[in-house]
Amino acid sequence: MIKVLTTLINGLSLGGVYALIALGYTMVYGIAKMLNFAHGDIIMVGSYTILIFFNMIGIPLVGLIASTLISVLVCVVFGIVIERTAYRPLRGASPLAVLITAIGVSYLLQSIAQIVFGTAPRTVILNFMGTITIGALKINVATIVTLAVAIAVMAALTLFVNKTRTGRAMLAVSEDRGAAQLAGVSVNTIIAVTFAIGSALAAIAGAFTVMKTYTVEPTMGAMPGIKAFTAAVIGGIGSIPGAMAGGILLGVIETACDAVPVLSPYKIAIEFALLIIVLLIKPTGILGKKKREKV
Amino acid sequence: MKHTAFFKAASLTLAAVAGAACFAGCGGNGYTDKNTEYYIGVSGPLTGGAAIYGTAVKNAAQMAVEEINAAGGVNGVNFKFVMKDDAHDETKSPNNYASLFEDGMQLSLGCVTTKPFLATKTDVVKDEVFTLCPSASGDAVPQDASNVFQMCFTDSGQGAEAAKLVKSTYTDTSSVKIGVLYKSGDDYSVGLFNNFKAEMGANYGGYNVTEASFTDETSFDSQVQTLKDCTFFFMPIYYTPAKNFMLAAKGQVADTAVYFGCDGFDGIDSVKGFDISTIPQEVSMLSHFNSKATAGKAKEFVDKYNAKYTSAADKGTLNQFGAAAYDCVYAFKAAIEKAVADGEKVPANIAAAEMNKILTKVFTSSSFTFTGATGTDIKWNADGTVNKAADKYIVKAANNA
Repeated sequence: MIKVLTTLINGLSLGGVYALIALGYTMVYGIAKMLNFAHGDIIMVGSYTILIFFNMIGIPLVGLIASTLISVLVCVVFGIVIERTAYRPLRGASPLAVLITAIGVSYLLQSIAQIVFGTAPRTVILNFMGTITIGALKINVATIVTLAVAIAVMAALTLFVNKTRTGRAMLAVSEDRGAAQLAGVSVNTIIAVTFAIGSALAAIAGAFTVMKTYTVEPTMGAMPGIKAFTAAVIGGIGSIPGAMAGGILLGVIETACDAVPVLSPYKIAIEFALLIIVLLIKPTGILGKKKREKV
Repeated sequence: MKHTAFFKAASLTLAAVAGAACFAGCGGNGYTDKNTEYYIGVSGPLTGGAAIYGTAVKNAAQMAVEEINAAGGVNGVNFKFVMKDDAHDETKSPNNYASLFEDGMQLSLGCVTTKPFLATKTDVVKDEVFTLCPSASGDAVPQDASNVFQMCFTDSGQGAEAAKLVKSTYTDTSSVKIGVLYKSGDDYSVGLFNNFKAEMGANYGGYNVTEASFTDETSFDSQVQTLKDCTFFFMPIYYTPAKNFMLAAKGQVADTAVYFGCDGFDGIDSVKGFDISTIPQEVSMLSHFNSKATAGKAKEFVDKYNAKYTSAADKGTLNQFGAAAYDCVYAFKAAIEKAVADGEKVPANIAAAEMNKILTKVFTSSSFTFTGATGTDIKWNADGTVNKAADKYIVKAANNA
């Protein structure tokens, strides 16, 4: 029982991280109608930023909070610059061209990181908070913090999208770009804002990823990126609650697989099999909306 | 929000791709005719990510050659040592091997790493060059090659040695709870794990063993939960995930527990940004060499190495790769001396294949033993694998021991 509970909490925590990354994929897809495969590498950019500033500051808790905030800023700038220089010129181009460009940006970021920081993994210990005991339950404080922050960020994002002017403009652009433009929404600004928000979420996710892996390396964004993308598709790409649900589902499944030694080697196979099953049964994902074909 | 058929196809394809991704003649060729010294050659990484291993082999072998020559050589004949850089790239090692062979190589240290060696193996076997690999530990290295021997343990040998060590350390099966953490899908890790399991016997010989594995390194939370009550951890994995597991297990696993790995642990105490003293448990590894030895041949080697190689480029190169290479050169000397004592003629310009015939006989004879920095009374099996005792080398003792 205790093991089930611990696994669930660990799973929700990992799921929270996947959800944060998945939100970046889903929002960009929903609004700009493109798959930003460089999104995972923004996590890497954020993690190197944290590594540098965390070591520079030297005081654990202050260092973690301050370096994460700096990382959010750096990632927002990266997100906006990448969108402006690589994706905006391709607005209206074929989806394949945009997809290839995104993959190109991903390699570009990885290669720059390899040149600047070298290929060797760097170790940074952000998980200095120890464990907490509640009854028979013994759990890492970092796990709880991750879960709490992920929930808070997702709640804030939901409020932002539904209650603010910019948020509603984002919804409008995702529904119908042309109509939104006619109604006076600046599509370019909204897309830039979307990239900024997605990158900020990636920066936060980067902090939590490093907290779990203790390692920063140029290719570190690839696997969380592809898993979060899977989560976004399972949840229904383009749907914000879908990305959250998909991320958490994937995190819990992954942790549960790892908790059962027999299933552990098949973890990744199980995750991607789930993706295929969801796509076969409900091609739009769990919370994805059906597309109406107008003839 | 809209979906296109293109998107669906693209996502499925990419997901599928991502899923899949998680997974010259012998004898009278005349090459050696002009040799006035016994020629030892090796190919290994002096540049690139594995340079630390190649540099260790180069430095240590060079040191052994200089020592032997200064002391009068082998029955008056000196050694000559040549190393070529392959950057741990198996496309470069065959060229290196060919040029060494044609240059008159009579004795080979093979390659420093397994993959580049396997790329040269067909030629090595055909040319009948006597080869003693200091560090290429792959099981395939000496297989079906009567002229290839190893100074290090094979990958599978390490798993079996680890099991023997567990059995001799914990004679009472109820005194220990063993946890095994391996990386599924990784040949090195799974190979060691399977051999460990086989050597332990059916049902682990009555020991209480819990297994856990991982595929990627996103989080070790679950593995920690599975293994947290264990008191001895066998971890046939590389030091990066090992260190991450230890960090994640802090406060969960008893401070009196022991983390035990194989040669993949070599270097765990010099990872930048990771202070091993912050791990409360004992961290130890199976090794044939102890860089902190306080007595014997190992200490002699360590002292001489540290005194000779002090430059920044040599920092961190004191490791089991170098120690094994040092022993290889001395083993060549001991074997040639034994052959001469047995009545063989070993002139400096002996053909490589002749040298091989003589040394293979010595290495496989039951009366030949060798003692060096990496072991005492070392013997070789007919299949080329080494037969020596493995030691538990404590990288870091328990903090509250």
